Amino acid sequence: MSDESLHQNEQRSGAARHTPWLEWCASGAGLLLTLCIFGFITWQAFDDAVSPPAITVEATNISSIDGGYRVMFQARNAGGAAAAQVRIEGALSSGSHAPETSSVVLDYIPGQSAREGGLFFTQDPRSGNLALRVSGFARP
Amino acid sequence: MKRAGSPHTAKLPEKRERMKVDEMARDNTVPETNKDYAIGLGRAFGGAVLFAIPLLMTMEMWWLGFSMGRGRLLLLMSLNFAILIGLSYFAGFEKTFSWWEDVVDALTAYGVGIVTSVIMLGLLAVITVDMTWNEIVGKIALQSVPASIGAMLGRKQLGAEQDTQAEDDRKQEAGYRGELFLMLAGSLFLAFNVAPTEEMILIAFQMSPWHTFALGGLSIALLHVFVYAVGFSGQESRPAGGTFLSTFLHFTMAGYGIALLVSLYILWTFGRTEDAAPAEIANMAVVLGFPSSLGAATARLVI
Repeated sequence: MSDESLHQNEQRSGAARHTPWLEWCASGAGLLLTLCIFGFITWQAFDDAVSPPAITVEATNISSIDGGYRVMFQARNAGGAAAAQVRIEGALSSGSHAPETSSVVLDYIPGQSAREGGLFFTQDPRSGNLALRVSGFARP
Repeated sequence: MKRAGSPHTAKLPEKRERMKVDEMARDNTVPETNKDYAIGLGRAFGGAVLFAIPLLMTMEMWWLGFSMGRGRLLLLMSLNFAILIGLSYFAGFEKTFSWWEDVVDALTAYGVGIVTSVIMLGLLAVITVDMTWNEIVGKIALQSVPASIGAMLGRKQLGAEQDTQAEDDRKQEAGYRGELFLMLAGSLFLAFNVAPTEEMILIAFQMSPWHTFALGGLSIALLHVFVYAVGFSGQESRPAGGTFLSTFLHFTMAGYGIALLVSLYILWTFGRTEDAAPAEIANMAVVLGFPSSLGAATARLVI
């Protein structure tokens, strides 16, 4: 038993002497990355990660395409928590006609992040009165 | 498991000692070079990609990365780090001689896991530059858990020559506690691989109590058979003087207990237990307990 522990000591000192510089680099980089990622998640935990989703939507681009018009939008979640199945609805009212509506469901919008999408209309949204709104979400 | 008294080791003590001395001589005369270490590092990257690929391509993992509770994510990452240190002791990507080196290797494996996750998620366009840091870092943090375990096991799985003798010695030294640790690590890894998917919950919903009962029974039976009966490499021989019942209670039931606890922990981590009825949680635990107990049973074969 004492013989064995002696050998282990020898090995230990041998290993310490021969640690290649690449090992220092790799483990140093590992330490840095690990600290960064733990630090960031900890910061998130204390920085409003739980406030419920608050989503706003705005049109970013309207263009005419074959067979109608396309409205690109950006939905931004100002809350800390992620929202799932976010429903975006667009209503286009022009004159006396009933408003034309289109809708789409976005799978996820993470907290403090944005997602983009598009809606199609048959009438020109630029000539009418386009209203985009978020009608609901589910907690993931 | 104690195997000191087994006839094999008792008969050949001199030979083993001589082999050890030979090894020692090699260790002291030939220092570990940068090239050796680079090869080990390459295997770590290989292992990280290989073990993490199913989860890198699972969309629930991307979503959980930014939607799961931050506290739970932190706890999971910390637990992962502790398991990496343990794995480094038993089967790391290089031989270690002190707990300090195990910590250093765990850090390296974590780093390799993070780098692999960044590269792969970037390649798969799961993370892009127009996303916020919250989203990007969340996804990377979650994916780096399986990737870092893969990095740690890379040497063992992909290495050409392995010092299995030293590993066996360590497993033997660690005894029953080491056995339980390996079962924990194995079940955590396999359960983690399937737990994020929606199918886990769907399966629990569509199973009747009889299905659950049968699946639980099969889990226990397979756990026992994999470890003691079918003769995989790394199979344990029944402890000397142990009856079937004592082995069953000591190892198989302990293993299934660990598998169930690991399942519950992972379900909680991914927020599956929220507002669920106790019966439903039990159902999900048994469903996830199946891969989990297979992981516990095969941990000795892999690690």
